[in-house]
Amino acid sequence: MLDRLSRDIEALLFATDRPLSIDELCELTGSGEDSVSQAIERLKAALEESGHSLVIAEIAGGFRLMTDATHGETVAQLFEDRRPGRLTRAAIETLAVVAYNQPCTRAAVEAVRGVNCDSALKSLLERNLIRICGRQETVGRPLTYATTEDFLSYFGLSDIDHLPRRREIEEILSTGMPAGQDSDLFEENRG
Amino acid sequence: MSADACRISLDAFEGPLDLLLYLIKRDELDIYQIEAAVVAEQYLEYIRKALELDLDVASEYLVMAATLTSMKSRALLPASRGQEADEIGEAEALMRQLVLYKAFKEIAQDLRESEDLWRNIFPSAGERERWSADSPPAIPGQLTIIDLLTALEELSAPADKAPDQRISRPVLTIAECVEELGGKLQTGVWTTLSALTGIGFGRSRIVGFFIAILELVRLGRLVLRQRRPFAEIEVLRTEFW
Repeated sequence: MLDRLSRDIEALLFATDRPLSIDELCELTGSGEDSVSQAIERLKAALEESGHSLVIAEIAGGFRLMTDATHGETVAQLFEDRRPGRLTRAAIETLAVVAYNQPCTRAAVEAVRGVNCDSALKSLLERNLIRICGRQETVGRPLTYATTEDFLSYFGLSDIDHLPRRREIEEILSTGMPAGQDSDLFEENRG
Repeated sequence: MSADACRISLDAFEGPLDLLLYLIKRDELDIYQIEAAVVAEQYLEYIRKALELDLDVASEYLVMAATLTSMKSRALLPASRGQEADEIGEAEALMRQLVLYKAFKEIAQDLRESEDLWRNIFPSAGERERWSADSPPAIPGQLTIIDLLTALEELSAPADKAPDQRISRPVLTIAECVEELGGKLQTGVWTTLSALTGIGFGRSRIVGFFIAILELVRLGRLVLRQRRPFAEIEVLRTEFW
């Protein structure tokens, strides 16, 4: 049988409706970080050994108890009528640009993709995968967009630093983003 | 060329950059050493076919076609001084854009794989349904049966005045206003605007009636008068109604 701390954590992760961070788990169980991390490892191992359909996932800044992907189709039936469809290619490309460039304006996304991204941004906002996070202090004060916590959960990311191939993209980006069309215009005028 | 090879669809592409990447890959060209003339030729060929087939070609594709054409024509001309730098700048800008877009396209593919995986992984629902943040929980013992009865009594007490709530019609057309005016106005009797619109129906009804009245005055069917500034507007139906 599992130790008390592991079972406490299991109960917390079962009952929570959001990811619980290590700090929160420490506070809720009154234990130190090391013992909590070790207890999580024991819990993970126990779930795996006993062949359960549940796993502990590190997602959106914390831990959650989740179903195993192999049971996806069975569970999906429960949500058939309310589970949103897959993202369109335009939406997922737009989301990729926003994720690596946030906060990022519409013009910046369009400069990368070379097409109008209005409707893609709108559908991402509707699905709460991105949010409006402010305005850029340039001519026209365009809105800027950033990703949400739902974005992390949706793609199973623990945090924004764990985006795939982050470093490679940063390298390409550091050689210079193509400027948005409107900012280009003004730069030329100045020069 | 077979019929299949001629089948052109721009729908499959996410814009001109996507199409260019496809052509570069298809013809096994080096993305870092793009020859403007070669790429432009292929791209324009593709767009031309799309136009011949009378497909809707989005303006973005045409802008790229113009850029490539200009790059190509410059490549054919003998270079004058200063022009060469422009040319390289243009080609390099396009190369950089393509490399960047290609990277994001691959990222999007990675994200798609994550999406497909995580769409099939479900978290424990917790107490989301029962104790959602939207509905604060009632604390046991907080209320008594007396509170319930009092609430019931308040509900069944006769209201001393009509509730403030109004049911608003979304749109009132001018034609509807004219029709209603016709029913209410009698020839030879001055009637006030407020008597016509009725009180408490909101601004849009007053505005609608006012515009309808102005229109009818213009047509000579009504006469307006106002005894002094801000006084009630009065309306008289003429014999031309």
